[in-house]
Amino acid sequence: MNILIVDDASTVRMYHRNVLEAAGYTVDEAVNGLEALEKALANKFDLYIVDINMPKMDGYEFLRQLRSEDVDQAPAVMVSTEAAELDHTKAFTAGANLYMVKPIKPLQMMTYVRLLAGEESV
Amino acid sequence: MALKKSNIATASSDENELKDCKTIGQNLLSDDASVRRWAARDITHCDGASMMLLDQLEVETDMSVRQVILTSLTQVGDSEAVEGLVRCLRTEDAGLRNEAIEAMKHLPKEIAPIMACLLNDSDPDVRIFAVNILESLCHPDVEQWLIGVIRDDEHINVCATAVDLLGEVGSEQSTQALQELKDRFDEEPYIQFAADLAIKRITGD
Repeated sequence: MNILIVDDASTVRMYHRNVLEAAGYTVDEAVNGLEALEKALANKFDLYIVDINMPKMDGYEFLRQLRSEDVDQAPAVMVSTEAAELDHTKAFTAGANLYMVKPIKPLQMMTYVRLLAGEESV
Repeated sequence: MALKKSNIATASSDENELKDCKTIGQNLLSDDASVRRWAARDITHCDGASMMLLDQLEVETDMSVRQVILTSLTQVGDSEAVEGLVRCLRTEDAGLRNEAIEAMKHLPKEIAPIMACLLNDSDPDVRIFAVNILESLCHPDVEQWLIGVIRDDEHINVCATAVDLLGEVGSEQSTQALQELKDRFDEEPYIQFAADLAIKRITGD
């Protein structure tokens, strides 16, 4: 399973990569929505883990554009520091399948990743 | 005689400038995005430029015009421009928020006096955005501000954002505060990971 982590914070990308690679997943990274979109259109990913606030292109816009493309689609988990209900709604409207509030605990992340990968139910 | 000529020339030049500014102000409201874009670029020398730019920013839908408005606001850089950019941090429009953060990074002298207020804002999201601004704000107090955040801020995500940055800009004087943060959030794996990484980067161990 190939996962794209989209976050402008290098420490966050490294942390998520460590958790996911320890579980046996293949991971790629993008530093903003623009780079993520380029990678998503050029490669096949099975899951996206996407931050909201990023320079150049935010997470909402990335998902909106990705969902409008005629390519194989994959589920997306939106990960953000913003916990308000409105933020969840905006994420789902943009095309997210799940919403997680930072900071993420490894067990919590793996539960959602396995669920979206069809490996395990919550 | 020469003096009179010079006075006439100056008055005429001022009048032309006023006319120019009036036209530019009208162009900023044009239906044509390319006209608005040029107006946003040319308006910076006009009186009241910040207010006109900020008014347009609130309703601007074209991304390229918005970008020029933000660039012009940083060029003007007066107190109205700075206050307007700070207001953008509270908007629900994530794109505009992030563009405002990028713009504010170019105003270290103007942002520094209000940074303490931003870092103590009642909204944790605004405090996180303030830390994001520090990322590229070339100012000698950046490390001290970040140490203050990880020592005093009770919100874990504000601290997490600050730790991420301390790993890049921190020095030996940050390590004790980083260790104390680890103790404060001893059950949070991300804080443990990020603080350990920052300490490792700082000490080179």
